[in-house]
Amino acid sequence: MNALLDLVAVAAVVGATVLIGAYGLRVSRTTSDFFVASRTVRPVWNASAISGEYLSAGTFLGLSGLVLLSGAEGFWFPIGYAAGYLLVLLFVAAPLRRSGAYTIPDFIEARLESRFARRVTSAGCLLIGWLYIVPQLHGAGITLQVVADIPPWVGAVLVAVLVAAAAAAGGMRAITYVQAFQYWLKLTALLVPAVLIVFAVNGGAPDIDPRVVFPAEAGPSGLDAYAAGSLLLALLFGTMGLPHVLVRFYTSPTGGSARRTTVLVIVMVSVFYAVSSVIGLLARVVAPDLARPGVADTVALVLPARVFPGIIGELLTALVVAGAFAAFLATSAGLTVSLAGVISQDVFSGSVRSFRLSAAVVALVPLVIALLTAPAGLVASVGIVFVFAASALSPVLLLSIWWSRLTARGAVAGMVTGAAACGVAFLVHAAVGGVGLAAPLLAQPAAWTIPLATVVTVVVSLTDRAGAPVSTGAYLARLHTPGRG
Amino acid sequence: MTRERVRVTAGAGRPGAPTRGIALPGAPVDDAEAAYARALRRSQLRLAVGTLLGFVTVTLVLLGALTLIPELDDIVLLGVPLSWLLHAFGFYPVIAGFAILYVRGANRNERRWRALRDEGA
Repeated sequence: MNALLDLVAVAAVVGATVLIGAYGLRVSRTTSDFFVASRTVRPVWNASAISGEYLSAGTFLGLSGLVLLSGAEGFWFPIGYAAGYLLVLLFVAAPLRRSGAYTIPDFIEARLESRFARRVTSAGCLLIGWLYIVPQLHGAGITLQVVADIPPWVGAVLVAVLVAAAAAAGGMRAITYVQAFQYWLKLTALLVPAVLIVFAVNGGAPDIDPRVVFPAEAGPSGLDAYAAGSLLLALLFGTMGLPHVLVRFYTSPTGGSARRTTVLVIVMVSVFYAVSSVIGLLARVVAPDLARPGVADTVALVLPARVFPGIIGELLTALVVAGAFAAFLATSAGLTVSLAGVISQDVFSGSVRSFRLSAAVVALVPLVIALLTAPAGLVASVGIVFVFAASALSPVLLLSIWWSRLTARGAVAGMVTGAAACGVAFLVHAAVGGVGLAAPLLAQPAAWTIPLATVVTVVVSLTDRAGAPVSTGAYLARLHTPGRG
Repeated sequence: MTRERVRVTAGAGRPGAPTRGIALPGAPVDDAEAAYARALRRSQLRLAVGTLLGFVTVTLVLLGALTLIPELDDIVLLGVPLSWLLHAFGFYPVIAGFAILYVRGANRNERRWRALRDEGA
């Protein structure tokens, strides 16, 4: 591997990010520019930006690593991520766009007329966002370590500082263009090596035995029904609860365009996942020796040099490194912008200055966590975030859009129950491993935590004597009817 | 909306019906309009739940085929068993297909709502 070439690639991505961000800074003028790009972003750009932000380290490096490590069950993650957007489209996209709120806490406050429900939602968003940024920083650390033997903390610090600076400088407007660019960069960075390696492998070495490389017991038929089902449930419902996913719908001009944008996003992320799955399949053919926990996540970086020795392999590796950095930057930038929006409106006055201060605070906390913890499997860490989002925020969000009798007390009870149930499940699982029959329930808790949070929300709302806010009917009408014209 | 307001104001001025037209806080301004909005919300929810059920059904069928037909492991394309290829790439067209179907249905519901509202106004 050519460390210099890879570092040049990282520098080029960073440079392009700063340049495009600076262009965004020139056109960001008002508070509304900072938060939601003034709602003038075109569907194709908006969809590229949403996809760019959504495709994180977990999918760029982690997916191929997981397919290499544990076989076809790794495919459930990208399928769940893409289907999560289908649920966003069905239940959330257009109504949230019409709500006129900037962030999820804004929306919950407007809908339930409760400052307290807002605060609890903000805390949930912060927790989920921070948990999600940590694996991105770990991914950056691993990448620099593999390609240039640089200590992992350097990559984490580099990404955190860049993201905080870019977000503070340009807000959502700058981030939109940066992320649209990063989607196409990420796609190219996997597509080009994937196509070349497919041709090389099919032309050169047909001496592999499919039964050994793709054994049936690691294939789709060797499926654990509960684990796969619970995981899919978490991924399906988790997407809508991610803070950086929802804030994007506020940048579409109308509810109808929010829907069109979401369909484009589904197509764009699906194309990326398909390419990433090709890399995963190739990894099983070319690099079975890397199928070890901790090492498997680096397979996408190592693969090109394995197949093409010499300069072509080095150039392809540099391209993959550039794409991987785009992945860390895009997801952590999107999260930082939406979390900074939450903090600046909740803790400070919501002005542009407080947004900048909040961006710095938001990036610092996960950096400290990332420096204090060791990287676990990237896909697994991201999976935990989805379980949290699906249990704590998604049930309340869905009910607040579709159910008129939801009350603030019910929402708070549901969010706290969902978050606490997941937290306890994961902590107990981490502490004692498995407890007989309960082990799968603790390892993949979404199948019971999502219904639990939903039932608690509904029951507490129905028994709440204060009742739903009087303006609920009018507010729901606004969410579900298109604007005049 | 404007026309309704004129009628209500005239009604409030007549003796014998003094409370007509006083809007309670949060009460719907126009009953017909609120009813149309509720109907639209219900039909959108029906459409969304229906699309979700359709998607889940097709997914389960595909999954059933993958787990219950062992012959799929034996057919090998480009060095990869067909079952793996289907699992890796087969679900995305299903997701995109249901997304497109839903957007069409949702737009149709909104067009119907517009037609109703314009008729009533």
